[in-house]
Amino acid sequence: MALPALPLVQGTLDLLVLRTLAAGPRHGYGIASVVHDLTAGDLSIEDAALYQALHRLDRQGLVAAEWRPSENNRRARYYTLTPAGRRRLKEETAAWRRYSRAVEAVLEGR
Amino acid sequence: MREPHHERRLFWYLGRRRRTVEAEIDEELALHLDMRARELIERGLPPEEARREARRQFGDLEGTRRYCRQEDERKERRMQRWLVLDDVVQDLRMSLRGLRRAPLITAVVIATVGLGIGATTVAFAAIHATLLRPLPYAAPERLVRIYTDAPPNRFPFSVADYLALEAQQTRFERIAGYAGRTMSFSDGVVAERLRGRVVTATYFSLLGIRPMLGRDFTESDGRPGTGPAVIVSHGFWRQRLSARADVIGESIRLDGTPHTVVGVLPPGVGPLEQGQDFFVAAQWEPPRRKGPFFIGVLGRLRRLEDRAAAADELRLLNRRLFPVWQASYQDDKASWGMKDLKAHVVGDVETMSGLALASVALVWLIACANASNLLVARATSRRRELAVRAALGASRARVTRFLLAESSLLAFGSALVGIVLAFVGIGVLRRIGSGYVPRVEELGLGGAVWWCLGGLTAASTLLFGLVPSLQGSGTPVDETLRSLGRSSTASLAVRRLRRALVATQFAIATPLLVVAALLLASLHALGQVSLGFDTRNLLTASVELPRSQYAEPGRVAAFWDEMQRRVEALPGVTGVAFADGRPPEDVDNFNNFELEAFPTAAGHSQPVTPWISVTPEYFGLLGLRLVDGRLFDAHDGRGPNLESVIVDRAWARRFFPGGSAVGKRMHEGGCSTCPWVTVIGVVSEVKYAGLDKPDQGTVYTPMLARGAASPLEAATSRFRYVVVRTSADPLSRAPSVRQIVRDLDPTLPLSSVATLDDLVARSLQSPRSLSMLVGGFAAVALVLSIVGIYGVMAYYVQQHSKDISIRMALGGRAGDVLRLVLGQGLRVVAYGVAVGLVAALFLARLMASLLFEVSAHDGPTFLAVAMVLLGAAAAACFLPARRAIGLPPAVLLRSE
Repeated sequence: MALPALPLVQGTLDLLVLRTLAAGPRHGYGIASVVHDLTAGDLSIEDAALYQALHRLDRQGLVAAEWRPSENNRRARYYTLTPAGRRRLKEETAAWRRYSRAVEAVLEGR
Repeated sequence: MREPHHERRLFWYLGRRRRTVEAEIDEELALHLDMRARELIERGLPPEEARREARRQFGDLEGTRRYCRQEDERKERRMQRWLVLDDVVQDLRMSLRGLRRAPLITAVVIATVGLGIGATTVAFAAIHATLLRPLPYAAPERLVRIYTDAPPNRFPFSVADYLALEAQQTRFERIAGYAGRTMSFSDGVVAERLRGRVVTATYFSLLGIRPMLGRDFTESDGRPGTGPAVIVSHGFWRQRLSARADVIGESIRLDGTPHTVVGVLPPGVGPLEQGQDFFVAAQWEPPRRKGPFFIGVLGRLRRLEDRAAAADELRLLNRRLFPVWQASYQDDKASWGMKDLKAHVVGDVETMSGLALASVALVWLIACANASNLLVARATSRRRELAVRAALGASRARVTRFLLAESSLLAFGSALVGIVLAFVGIGVLRRIGSGYVPRVEELGLGGAVWWCLGGLTAASTLLFGLVPSLQGSGTPVDETLRSLGRSSTASLAVRRLRRALVATQFAIATPLLVVAALLLASLHALGQVSLGFDTRNLLTASVELPRSQYAEPGRVAAFWDEMQRRVEALPGVTGVAFADGRPPEDVDNFNNFELEAFPTAAGHSQPVTPWISVTPEYFGLLGLRLVDGRLFDAHDGRGPNLESVIVDRAWARRFFPGGSAVGKRMHEGGCSTCPWVTVIGVVSEVKYAGLDKPDQGTVYTPMLARGAASPLEAATSRFRYVVVRTSADPLSRAPSVRQIVRDLDPTLPLSSVATLDDLVARSLQSPRSLSMLVGGFAAVALVLSIVGIYGVMAYYVQQHSKDISIRMALGGRAGDVLRLVLGQGLRVVAYGVAVGLVAALFLARLMASLLFEVSAHDGPTFLAVAMVLLGAAAAACFLPARRAIGLPPAVLLRSE
């Protein structure tokens, strides 16, 4: 942890959660771990914000929640991407790529 | 596949509600904190510190809980809404599937209730257009029609009456007069007779009609001596004046006289203007005698409250006027009266349309009762399904909703059928209904009619939906489930309900059948009426000679002479005569007269009969027998003291039942100073005033072919019906007759061409249509009631098959079983029929005016209807009874 973790750009949390769930159903803790591992700790995601995002996405119908036994046999709430969530993920990913390319282009000064 | 899925969702939904949203969030967050703490412990933190660190890393725990709860509850609420909607959709889908499995019931319900809804809507639309809606004139409630009231008749005004009323009345803002007038119009190529009116200059302003083009009539148009002015209808303007905007001021020839077009009416004016092509400004000279009476008078009251005062004033004015014309008018019992213009326009259709509406509404009711009955049967056979649903946690409301979904679907289907039928029916009525329904042009699917349609559909849903569902969900679940094995006891309530429904059906069907039977009997009686001569191979048509071109009596006579000569010469024509009226319901002149032998007492009306003017050939042509005296010869009708008439047998019997009418004298038309008119002969009778009217006698006056015309003849001789006896198909001669008229005068049209058989058929058309309509609906009602009793008895037999077979096995006789089943069924029917007969007594009395030679309480008809209903019901009960007897007992006992 040479550098302090970066605060999250507004709105990107939903995208990260959706992307994480694209690989398969996960519970909240699992999502937090995957994001942490993939970013090698570069992004600071508060657990509180993560759960708020999950319940918001659930209400919006982008993810579906279901109680299932977890890996160590406790009842856990697993989230799955709904078809609507999958569509949203595609759109958001494309939008993010355009955004970051544009920012990159400016920074490169090309 | 859908059903289990649906049930699972239902339980999931119920389960979820039990565990609160809050608990779930807490559980989820607690798990997270535990897992995080375990991870930290694995990295070497002591448990206590690990838990604290996990809480710290998590962030705002309380805020998150609040936020999540808020989100979840929002989702929950939406899901509940969706679930309810989803349930409804599921209900509908399942009902649709269920109905598809019972196509016969579905088809019967949809067709019959649809028929009921459609027909009731059409009848309502007709009544709405004619009776309920105000007339399409400005402030129509203040409009009245004024007439001379001489009970039982109502007469139009004469010019003398009208001018006196106009000069002296104070209670009316305006009065206007109008008289029918047909005129020939020729565009240079084709001549045709058009219907129009002669109206006073106040006519349009009184009704509040403004011409679309040009101007209204002014007072000067009505002054004698001014050039004749005409306002044409929108239809006339479009068809015959090619809708040109510059027609105002142009001259058109009506009856050969130039008339200046001063205005064009807007399209779609009121019922009084319907079918009229033109309106000519009346120019009435002060009269020298009281009659003739031909002016319809309209009045617009100054204030609505003036009604009684205005009626009083009319009576007063008439009394004041009476002495002035005493020399030419004696009926001092006659007075002036008025009635609402709407009542005048609508006329006596109230009974007829009321009857039509009642019969279709009854069919609708019976169709609903039938549907109810079928659905109760269906719900009964699905008791197990419904009970299982209830046991699985579906509430009573939920089961009711499911059953309502089915009836809503049926009602929806019925409504679709009903809308289509209403649409078609209203279209048909608009096209052909002008003979039956006044103001038919105002008929349409308007707002009120849509409301009626919607109301009928909703009421149908409730009527045949609520009854079975209340019954289906009423019994406690466990009781139903327990009783499934021995259904005969638990279904007592069902049986009662179904019997009540069937009794209701018969109670409704009975009056309908009685009314239909009375109408058919009446129609049959009308068909039996003899016109008094051989109607075959007779062609009639009319010709009217315009006064302007045929002012000369000699020219008139020459035209008729030549026409007679040429028509007689046609091949296939065996005789030609002229008359100014024609059977069975066309009289040009109803005349009053006073017999020398029986002077009319003061305060009494003089007798009135049809007066038909005929040429001498008329009697022989029709084949009327001479009963007494002699027929006309070439001298009759000429000279001051040789006024001779022929009467028919009905007339002779009415006034001189004891002796001969020949040689009796009278004064005609209320003219006591005119020469005596003498009866010279009596012929067999013919109906002129309608087949359904009592024959009050006819007087024939001579219509001269040439020479000096009598005063009466002068008024009528320009209009004549030609009557042609042919040796073959009479209509095939019509073109030749038309050609003859055209050859004689190219501007003259030949009008109202018809065979006498056609005329008779036409006069029966209205009663026939009504009989067919009511008869058709009565037949539907009968069939539905029979279906109802059959269903109930089939169910009864099925429920009692065990008892019956035990009885049979123990040596019971087939006759006893038959008697039992028939007795059960017929008792229900007898209740219904008894109630129905009482209802029929009331209904029939209301329609008495529509009957001809049949009493509204005709015993044999009532009896016959009751017998037919009981007989048909017995046949319907007999089938299930037979099946019951035929069942082998062993099989049945084993099956339980």
